[in-house]
Amino acid sequence: MTRTSRLSYFSLYLLWILFFVITPVALIVYQSFFNLNHQFTLQNYRDYLSSSVYLRMTLNSFIFAFLITLLTLLISYPAAYYLTRLKHRQLWILLIILPTWINLLLKAYAFIGIFSQAGSVNHFLTFIGIGPQQILFTNMSFVLVAAYIQIPFMILPIYNSLVDIDPAIINASHDLGANNVQTLWRVIIPMSANGVRSGVQSVFIPSLSLFMITRLIGGNRVITLGTAIEEHFLTTMNWGMGSTIGVVLIIIMFITMMLTASRRKGGVKR
Amino acid sequence: MQSPETILELQHIYKSFDDFVALDNINIKLDQGKFYSFLGPSGSGKTTVLRIVAGLILADRGKVLFDGQDISKLPAEKRKVNTVFQNYALFPHLNVFDNVAFGLRLKRMPQDELQERVMQALKTIQLNGYEDRMISELSGGQQQRVAIARAIVNEPRLLLLDESLSALDQKLRQQMQYELRSLQQRLGITFLFVTHDQEEALAMSDEIIVMNEGRIQQSGTPVDIYDEPINHFVANFIGESNIVPGTMIRDYEVEFVGKRFECADAGMRDHEPVEVVLRPEDITVTTPNQGKLVVSVDSQLFRGDHFEITSHDEDGNEWLIHATNSIEDRDKVGLSFSPNALHVMRFGEKEADFDRRLSEYEGDES
Amino acid sequence: MTEKHTWIGKLYLAFAFAILYMPIFYLVFYSFNSGKNMSGFKGFTWSHYQTLFADSRLIIIVLQTFLVAILSALIATIVGSLGALGIYQVRRRHTRNLLLSLNNILMVSPDVIIGASFLILFTAMGIALGFGSVLASHIAFSIPIVVLLVLPRLQEMDYAMIDAARDLGANSWQILSRVILPFILPSVFSGYFMAFTYSLDDFAVTFFVTGNGFATLSVEIYSRARQGINLEINALSALMFLFSIILIVGYYLLNQYTQSRRQRRQKDGVYLK
Repeated sequence: MTRTSRLSYFSLYLLWILFFVITPVALIVYQSFFNLNHQFTLQNYRDYLSSSVYLRMTLNSFIFAFLITLLTLLISYPAAYYLTRLKHRQLWILLIILPTWINLLLKAYAFIGIFSQAGSVNHFLTFIGIGPQQILFTNMSFVLVAAYIQIPFMILPIYNSLVDIDPAIINASHDLGANNVQTLWRVIIPMSANGVRSGVQSVFIPSLSLFMITRLIGGNRVITLGTAIEEHFLTTMNWGMGSTIGVVLIIIMFITMMLTASRRKGGVKR
Repeated sequence: MQSPETILELQHIYKSFDDFVALDNINIKLDQGKFYSFLGPSGSGKTTVLRIVAGLILADRGKVLFDGQDISKLPAEKRKVNTVFQNYALFPHLNVFDNVAFGLRLKRMPQDELQERVMQALKTIQLNGYEDRMISELSGGQQQRVAIARAIVNEPRLLLLDESLSALDQKLRQQMQYELRSLQQRLGITFLFVTHDQEEALAMSDEIIVMNEGRIQQSGTPVDIYDEPINHFVANFIGESNIVPGTMIRDYEVEFVGKRFECADAGMRDHEPVEVVLRPEDITVTTPNQGKLVVSVDSQLFRGDHFEITSHDEDGNEWLIHATNSIEDRDKVGLSFSPNALHVMRFGEKEADFDRRLSEYEGDES
Repeated sequence: MTEKHTWIGKLYLAFAFAILYMPIFYLVFYSFNSGKNMSGFKGFTWSHYQTLFADSRLIIIVLQTFLVAILSALIATIVGSLGALGIYQVRRRHTRNLLLSLNNILMVSPDVIIGASFLILFTAMGIALGFGSVLASHIAFSIPIVVLLVLPRLQEMDYAMIDAARDLGANSWQILSRVILPFILPSVFSGYFMAFTYSLDDFAVTFFVTGNGFATLSVEIYSRARQGINLEINALSALMFLFSIILIVGYYLLNQYTQSRRQRRQKDGVYLK
């Protein structure tokens, strides 16, 4: 095909890259150097690095994201493993995907009911004799709901990497004298490591920045990087500081991606 | 026989990919209505020649003349040449009919004429009744035929075939060799067949062009090339041969393994170092006293229609022999051969010089 | 695997599926509650559905949401497919990798970052916030997924097919429309489908770039949920759940149908050899 015809239909896509990928990132970095009075300054970064409030918030956000990721992984790995053992796997996988099609907000909203003072969980706690507890608007409720929402995104990549394992390799492992546990530990888990990596990547990064769950479920007690950005942009209108936190989030995102990058070279995963 | 007209001529074609020289000064003329094979190992440049003729790539330098017209810069879609691709490259989303009709539809041929032409093409390759099949429902041999039909339906004057039989199994391959040859004779169009399989080339072609390292080594009829290879590469690549170093004593006399033999070659300098080719099937096994050469037998393998015997002479040259009978408990045997069986090759001889020399002394003989 | 092992596995999966679906069924269940909130089922009623269908503001928002989803998915599919074609034709590895990395930035960026940076972008360009800015954002964040779905299909394509088409006389446009497009069509459809669900699902980006006059369903649910429980939302989620199930069953059946058809025809092919 000729060069000119290629450029003409490629140009829309290149324009998209220019206007919606490069420019926004550049703008957020640019904006982070301006204070409320539109003066160029390093003050935002100075404030961020010297303020214990911001630093503690970043640390908290990190710990929350870590807990959410860990909880999601612990629930998802066995689920993904057992899913590979089922018949009609395609159907079951669709059933794992189905909840992700339900609007995120609706799922979060459901937990407002479930965790409320008079909700089901408290009914259950009363029933087994513990008595009603304040669940909604606590750190724990935030972690639970966030993990709930992310589970399918963890199961899918792990499942895909497990399904790719040739059954002959498992047989070979048994043939060489490994029992089920040894096979799991020495063969299956290492071979599914890439799935775990991409699962962790797709759960950890969003967990740093979830802001609507912190608002709806965590009340205003849980402050993450995401809530801070939202607040600076939409409530206090301090875009400079909001952008500074955004830049920090972007940096953390890149570090996470590098740490969880697939060890296999090349190739983009779906 | 009337003199056939030239359909395709390549003049001084050069092509490089990055640092790799794929074609280094290719010159060739192809006549109307003949079956040509470009034969060579992978990386020899034969497929590059085909792609340049098809217009899928352009040569760095040189001219492609089709029917006397320069088409060097013409893109593939404008050339009156069609190709049967290596893995057929059939369109999986179209059925057999639509695959074959693809080229005609692009030419906006009226429906009834198109229908007739496609049906005719399918009949030619014996796939009538398969019009509505999807490509995935066909066997390899059937796909091969559809690929041929898709090309010939456009009535090209030159059909290119790129390793077209290599994806088929042995038996089907031999059957397709017969079919391709008879198809070419029926249609009367020029076939340019690219292959790395020397048996295939020998069986089907009117003329073979042997390529190596981006250059044409030798071109000629299968018999010429088999009997009189120009150099070590051709002798080795086409058929099996014994090649030993020797010295041309004078015309019709050559020396190797310390002995002088009568031969059929001439036109070289006296005492020129040469290589001597002796085909394994031209050797007869006799007793050591009667043999022109004496060799020690190393091993024997039964190949069905002959025994393959490997042996070595006192200089350490290996000798391969195809014999009808096995050799029984004899360590040393004699080898005999006729003077005509010996073929002498000069080092680094150009094809033009080779042809001139051959015609000179062969002219003497007659 | 041993009997006992299978049993544990199934139990675990039952537990996992129960957790995944429990909140959804909880919502649906209480949408029929005649009481005021999601605790203590007082009695069966359709009244919340009646309120929902009488709520013209919500109906309009649902329609707007679908309009944005349909349009943004359509445009994103076109731009993304053309982009995939472009990337496919880039021969130099470095350029190609650079393009792919740029493509993936929006895939991995947190929603807040996308939302905040688009907000700065629209403000800097003087674009009013509302339908236009929401549509543009949805197109923007849906393009990369289309590229990621279409590109592998293109790479599966035998390049000789394009050579064959040229050899048979097809020009660039004919190659695109008669060979490449029919071949990649399934992946273009799944690209559209993904872009559509991305758009329907999005909350965070829309929340940043929508003005006062325009809302999508997610934004509306958020502001209503912040005011507390309202069983009209439950009724809405029941309907949306139903919609998703219809979509997924349709998708599954379509898949099964095409697969079995292909297998059947291949079998016929074998018999005919």
